[in-house]
Amino acid sequence: MKPPATRSRSRQISLVADFLPPGVWIVVLGALISSAVFLAWPVSPGIGRDFWIFSHQRLGDYRQAVAQWNGVHRDPSDQVNVTLLHFYALERRLMAAATADAPVADLVEAERNLMARVFAGPLEDVGFVDLTERFQRENILEQLNAPSITPWMTRGRIFGLPHDVHPCLLGYRADLVEAAGIDVSQIETWDDFCRLLAPLIQDLDGDGRPDRYLLNFWETQRDPLQALLLQAGSRFFDANGKVQVDTELNARVLAKLVTWIAGPARFCMDAPEFTAGGDLMRLNGTVIASILPDWLAGTWKNFIPGLSGKVKLMRLPAWEHGGLRTSVLGGTCLSITTASPDVEKSWAFAKHLYFSKQVAEGLFRSTSTISPVKNFWALPFYHQPDPFFSGQKIGELYIQEAPHVPERSSSPYDSLVIDRLMTALIALKSYALAHQQFNATELQSEAHRLLTEAQADLATRIGRNVLFQAASTP
Amino acid sequence: MKSAPSHARWAPWVFIAPFILIFCVFTAWPLVQSLILAFQQTFGPKSAKFVGLANFTFLLKDPMFWHAVRNTAVYAAGALFVQLPVALGLALLLNRPGLRGRAIFRLIFFSPSLVGLVFVGLMFFLLFQKRTGLINAGLHALFSSWDPEFAWLDHYVMPSLIIASVWLYAGFNMIYFLAALQNVSRELLEAAQLDGAGPWARFRHVVIPEIRPVAGFVVLLSVIGSFQLFELPWVLLDSGSGPGNSGLTIVMYLFQTGFLTGDLGYASAIGWVLGLILAGAAFVQARLARRETP
Repeated sequence: MKPPATRSRSRQISLVADFLPPGVWIVVLGALISSAVFLAWPVSPGIGRDFWIFSHQRLGDYRQAVAQWNGVHRDPSDQVNVTLLHFYALERRLMAAATADAPVADLVEAERNLMARVFAGPLEDVGFVDLTERFQRENILEQLNAPSITPWMTRGRIFGLPHDVHPCLLGYRADLVEAAGIDVSQIETWDDFCRLLAPLIQDLDGDGRPDRYLLNFWETQRDPLQALLLQAGSRFFDANGKVQVDTELNARVLAKLVTWIAGPARFCMDAPEFTAGGDLMRLNGTVIASILPDWLAGTWKNFIPGLSGKVKLMRLPAWEHGGLRTSVLGGTCLSITTASPDVEKSWAFAKHLYFSKQVAEGLFRSTSTISPVKNFWALPFYHQPDPFFSGQKIGELYIQEAPHVPERSSSPYDSLVIDRLMTALIALKSYALAHQQFNATELQSEAHRLLTEAQADLATRIGRNVLFQAASTP
Repeated sequence: MKSAPSHARWAPWVFIAPFILIFCVFTAWPLVQSLILAFQQTFGPKSAKFVGLANFTFLLKDPMFWHAVRNTAVYAAGALFVQLPVALGLALLLNRPGLRGRAIFRLIFFSPSLVGLVFVGLMFFLLFQKRTGLINAGLHALFSSWDPEFAWLDHYVMPSLIIASVWLYAGFNMIYFLAALQNVSRELLEAAQLDGAGPWARFRHVVIPEIRPVAGFVVLLSVIGSFQLFELPWVLLDSGSGPGNSGLTIVMYLFQTGFLTGDLGYASAIGWVLGLILAGAAFVQARLARRETP
């Protein structure tokens, strides 16, 4: 028999009384009210264009340039808002935008490895505006340092305006070197460097072990390894984008590097950058020299003031007589996202920023970074003595090397290639120690064997990916 | 038979509805999506292609994956054979009758687990540094023959990780063991003593059987935690997997593959295999526990 309606209602009441005490109702009510408020809250649409950066050192200069831009462009939709994000936060936001169409800024400063990753798929998936026609139409290419453009190119198309050149010099403890009566102008090759500075390798505490080495390099330091390989002429990928690590050149370089870090002729030590321990070793003179791109020179100035007046810069020693005396490390570009509603305005702002003499000067003063805009290289601020580097005109020194920096690929597998080369170097050092073999020529056959393994592994990983193969086909 | 009132039938569903909703949105749906991804090849932000079992077959032949499995297994063994005995030892020390300052010691031993993994990683990163790290500098000051450039984080990555994890987790697991030890029957221990059992015999034949259920639980937690190892080596090895990938764990390889190389499909396959490994560990533990239950 169907129960009467009144009884059903009383059951519901008993449910409320039995199972849902007043506290629960308060929580439910609170949740409903807060949800309603949240949904009804007016969300103001973003006004103007957003600009994301990851370097706090650039923020001050950019704010000035943005204020200048906003002062001229009064229309709210033309105003620019610059936002500083942590490097990883910026990376995650870009990836979220690319994979799930999450909101993204109009303009983004992207670091080299991140840019390479977005180049992995088809061109239409890149997520940044193709700037190639703009570069051609406005003669941008002619105005920029040529080798500084390749990291932002894929399949002949340009997706970023280069922020920097980042040539490398050698930063060294001039006070110690000059006190020892060593003339660095005599150094042309790495062999010269090792030979002439060898007297500086010393046991300072009498424990039978050297307490001072000549160069900050170790098999675990991927950036200096990459710089040294690029300087030697290694390019990691051929013209068709096919990986090439098993080369005579790479074997020779790796074998030579092992003799730098192990055995009786060792002259390198591990004093990693961006660590308190590494900085202490630089201050103590435990390590004499480091491979120093312009931005790292700025980092030293900002974070190791104790080195002021004690260090100088010189050209990198070459691998052989007449060889390249510089390399390249790091890089950033400015890109316009495809989500930007008005690409022309974003492009205009990008040029305002990167072709601004004030910004170039500010960046040089705050980070020692030189601009890739060739016309700027004659500006006086690049040619002033720097007391930190014992009065050297460091802008001038870096600019002299800028046109010669090695060209780099923009492959998404670049990072993996360096990883495998580093693994090969570590294995080669272990082999040398196990066999007490520290002759570079004799280590080359083992280096070749390890590089063949690395090449096979890389080819398998890259070749497995049908999408990358299709994307790489011109 | 009288049927339950209707509200009694549907009321439980009302109560578990929020959980089911959250579980479906944030766990079940991503799981289904990751399973689909595991059968796809992804590259670049938006491109995907169905490749059947190719990710799994590649994984079985991938030396890097097996290297990561081996490293993870070594760490798990370290957790089982170093960390847990240390934790049990600390618990036995604190369980001694008449011990003064028990609460202070308990706090001291437990306190490392109050700080985060990232903090511990950073701290040990500094401690293990060549020349400037406290461990090398201290040992060199004590023994001049000690090499100040002893490369803890280059050549002894797994021992360094195990040392850091012992410092972090031993006190935490000690609390479980201490709780179990405090529940060991006094009567049984006294009876064993009256029967002439020495300390070792009492420990082996009375204490261990009594704490076995808790120990089994701690072992399972440690194994699962070990196979999910990521933050500690990531920070300790300076956002990498160590020289020659000597500190590469399964989850690190998953992260590198999915988020650094951009191959989300392969990363999903690694995730599912990791899930199967953990399910296997839980199954074995459950079978062992059932066999030991009288």
